[in-house]
Amino acid sequence: MKDPRILLFLLFSSGFAQPVYAHGARIDYQQTSAIVIRATYDDGTPMAKAQAVVYAPDDPSTPWLKGMTDESGKFTFVPDAELSGNWDVKVRQAGHGDLVSIPLEQDAIAESSTTATMNSSMSATDIVSYSPGQKLLMAISGVWGFIGTALFFYRK
Amino acid sequence: MHIPDGFVPPSICLAGYAISGGVTWYSLREIQRDRDPQSSIPKSALFTAVFFIASLIHIPAPPPLTSFHLVLNGMMGTLLGYYAFLAIPIGLFFQAVMFQHGGMSTLGINAVIMGLPAIVAYYVFRLRSHLPRKQQFWTKALAFISGASAVLLSATLFAAIAIGTISPELNAATERTAIYLSLGSYLIQALVEGTFTVMIVSFLEKVKPELLQV
Repeated sequence: MKDPRILLFLLFSSGFAQPVYAHGARIDYQQTSAIVIRATYDDGTPMAKAQAVVYAPDDPSTPWLKGMTDESGKFTFVPDAELSGNWDVKVRQAGHGDLVSIPLEQDAIAESSTTATMNSSMSATDIVSYSPGQKLLMAISGVWGFIGTALFFYRK
Repeated sequence: MHIPDGFVPPSICLAGYAISGGVTWYSLREIQRDRDPQSSIPKSALFTAVFFIASLIHIPAPPPLTSFHLVLNGMMGTLLGYYAFLAIPIGLFFQAVMFQHGGMSTLGINAVIMGLPAIVAYYVFRLRSHLPRKQQFWTKALAFISGASAVLLSATLFAAIAIGTISPELNAATERTAIYLSLGSYLIQALVEGTFTVMIVSFLEKVKPELLQV
């Protein structure tokens, strides 16, 4: 910073880069409960950059919100507290995807009781996910059913 | 390439059921012509088990793609002929009920996507009887072609339906790009399934060649 020209340049450039208007800025905030969904493929890889569409309970055919999942397959939205019922979220990528129905009670949101909404969203996703052990058992019993059929018709 | 519930309009679901119903009827009629239709049931049931389980096994793919699972509809058609069109909907039904892979409303359309190419694969493999020379080589070549082409045909059908049913609320361009990219992974899958079909066919040809006479 020996050269006064540099100092002068910095002074000016900083002044131009951040123009200051004579308006006061204000940020309001309010705490609300949002819904986070996470979309993954069967093998556990996240559905990154997939299209997510949210449908409100009062009109399940027109999209209420459109967006895109992030790299980890997550998508967050804040449902309208006025509307209670099932919020449908559809995630789709290359023809693959899923549709989840998230039940939300109006008073649950009104009381901003996050636990209630958290639980309901959990139960909505829990229906479709089995543990690997359960899956294995189901697969084995399914296969055994087919083999049993084969053996039945194979007997002479 | 299973279409899940709620992703295609009801008209497509109904059309899927109608087409697969018609093809099932035709397949049953073809099976009736067999001298002993019951003798093929054990084989069909065993390969239904293979088909059912194949979609649960994820095979890692090179980096840009994540992983894929085998469909094996080409192998089903090659080995089962018209029985494949009965076996595939049964396998799909259990996949949908037990693992939410596919869906009940889209069972018909999924059966068309995977079952019709199986029958095409059967006809490709049957060309073998017209080629008297170099049986060994041609059996393998035809097995590969039928195994691979069935997957490519299924992928094409799937992509066509997926592109045709992009609902207006989706960004069509993004979705279309994603579908075209996914076709690349189906190409690798076709090579794997073709090779797999060759392995099964050459094994059966050595061990139990009468199983290949569908």
